[in-house]
Amino acid sequence: MKILVCIKQVCDSSETLVHDTDPPWVRPSPATVFRMNRFDEFALEEALLIGERFPGTEIHALSVGPSRVCTTIRKALEMGASHGIHLCIEKELYLSGEDTASIIAGYARDKGYDLILTGIMSEDTMHCQVGQYLGALLVLPCITSVISEEISPDDARVVVEREIESGRRQAFLVKMPVVLTIQSGINRPRYPSLSNVLRARSQDLETCEAEHLGSPAFRQKIAAIRYPDAGKKGTFIQGDSRQKARELLSILHEKSLLSWR
Amino acid sequence: MNRNIIIIGEHHEGTISPGTLELLDFSRALGSPFPEIILLGSDIFSLAENLAERTGCAVTLINGEHLNLYSAELYQKALLEVLRPRDERTLCIAFSHTSLGFDLAPALAHALQAPCISSVEDIEESSFVRSIFGGKLQSVVTPQNGPVVLTVLPGAFSPDRTPPEKSGHMRIVDVSVAPVSMIPQGERASEYRDSGLHDADVIVSAGRGIGKKENLSLISALASLFPRSALGASRAVCDLGWMEYRHQIGTTGQTVSPKLYIACGISGAIQHTSGMKNAQTIIAINSDPNAAIFSVSHYAIVEDLLSFIPVLMEEYTHPPG
Ligand SMILES: Cc1cc2nc3c(=O)[nH]c(=O)nc-3n(C[C@H](O)[C@H](O)[C@H](O)COP(=O)(O)OP(=O)(O)OC[C@H]3O[C@@H](n4cnc5c(N)ncnc54)[C@H](O)[C@@H]3O)c2cc1C
Repeated sequence: MKILVCIKQVCDSSETLVHDTDPPWVRPSPATVFRMNRFDEFALEEALLIGERFPGTEIHALSVGPSRVCTTIRKALEMGASHGIHLCIEKELYLSGEDTASIIAGYARDKGYDLILTGIMSEDTMHCQVGQYLGALLVLPCITSVISEEISPDDARVVVEREIESGRRQAFLVKMPVVLTIQSGINRPRYPSLSNVLRARSQDLETCEAEHLGSPAFRQKIAAIRYPDAGKKGTFIQGDSRQKARELLSILHEKSLLSWR
Repeated sequence: MNRNIIIIGEHHEGTISPGTLELLDFSRALGSPFPEIILLGSDIFSLAENLAERTGCAVTLINGEHLNLYSAELYQKALLEVLRPRDERTLCIAFSHTSLGFDLAPALAHALQAPCISSVEDIEESSFVRSIFGGKLQSVVTPQNGPVVLTVLPGAFSPDRTPPEKSGHMRIVDVSVAPVSMIPQGERASEYRDSGLHDADVIVSAGRGIGKKENLSLISALASLFPRSALGASRAVCDLGWMEYRHQIGTTGQTVSPKLYIACGISGAIQHTSGMKNAQTIIAINSDPNAAIFSVSHYAIVEDLLSFIPVLMEEYTHPPG
């Protein structure tokens, strides 16, 4: 089997980002620390678990972005992916879910993947769209919010459950090739093993310029980036921690939520 | 400019979802108080009729024998029978940002060659406001000209509506779509039973910020100060295996409205806050002064919970004087 896992690099804390105005978007500063989007860790782990069940499975980890994203692709190799792919864009620029998916689809179209996995959502742009667009662009079924999968490789059938509101689950039967967007909690992502870390060190990444993979439609643009309305926030309790504790206790007492001992 | 807004309605167990009614308010805010509502289902005629009466909106019921169970494939095919040929006057097609809405909207947008903007919270002229970076920043997004497909965040608009003067028209479109590449196998309830969350007056919840499972003892100690209290958790805490999923609060967990909710080390992702923002009093303890949880909190405490909770306990047990 051949699995593609689409992973995104996200910043650990948006406070370290610099805001640009022309066009409006954010770019990293020297203080910015990057890591793998958490939902994608679950997608990668699921691919690795499938690989353990079906020996001989190839697991390709792919990321779209500037050269900084290579560290996250390497992390995927350290976790156990067999091959790393960097679809390179030159600058820090805003991509909609559709834009990102059209670059990935440009690469994946003729590669014969049986399964394409992504996290359900990225923690930074929070679109919840890339997997669905990949399905549409590659004309494959896509199931989102997947919380369990059962593959029969002989007849390419997959039974998946997707998690919906209040923890309810919908089950579907699909045939590979298929796109699955993975919900957190489906597994426990592993830490890199020493042998994989050593292997990853000597491994080259495959690099493709995104612009050769089809042009995104850019059907939307960011008009502004800003902080949410601070006026909506409640009362910040002031003082040192002891004063805050006393103040909080007296508020709870006043509201009859707590009685003094 | 009189352009159409189309709302894709949702229903569950014979009732229209609150999110669908919120979309009416969203449409009003966009300048169209009586949008067209599309419902999909199998033999739900009286539900559709009733919706047209209650809202005064034109309701199109897409009726098909396989539409009783949702699948992206079926619903997209059925919708495209009605939405195609594309009407140039259509301004926007709006879903709720639910597991159905976010599942379906991108593929539909692709089919209509329209942009797709998800989890919209507000409207600014011809742009849409949505949270990014876990709610720490907001982006204002402008779609290209022509129709746009949106998912609107549940809770961002009001579900209340004044009764209309006259009832809307209901039409039925019969479709004969059947599953081909995605066969629905049914739906089942959550495995996780109630954990006393609904009976509790006070819920103390732990987030990833507790750092490790062992620190749950602090959260339990805090909860023990209150009679009728229960422990809650963010999804991250359950995913890490620190607490069981039956404690999870949020869209995919439980929705609670206790007298008091204390969020400890929870960032305030929208999927979490939608499950607890109706609590009467909300207190958040978080070391990050910009944490999104503070925008739904009545009282904000910027502290490291690992040092603050012990101080709080001490002040409670040994009050000064
Ligand atoms: C479709 C979908 C459904 C979802 N459903 C749910 C749901 O039902 N419920 C849910 O909760 N999530 C849900 N999520 C996940 C959600 O998006 C977030 O990922 C999750 O809520 C984050 O959990 P958290 O706040 O505990 O962790 P984080 O976001 O990692 O936040 C940890 C917080 O702890 C603070 N902190 C760290 N150390 C300390 C300290 N020592 N003292 C004080 N504060 C500290 C940090 O500043 C940070 O704000 C869903 C996601 C999707 C895509």
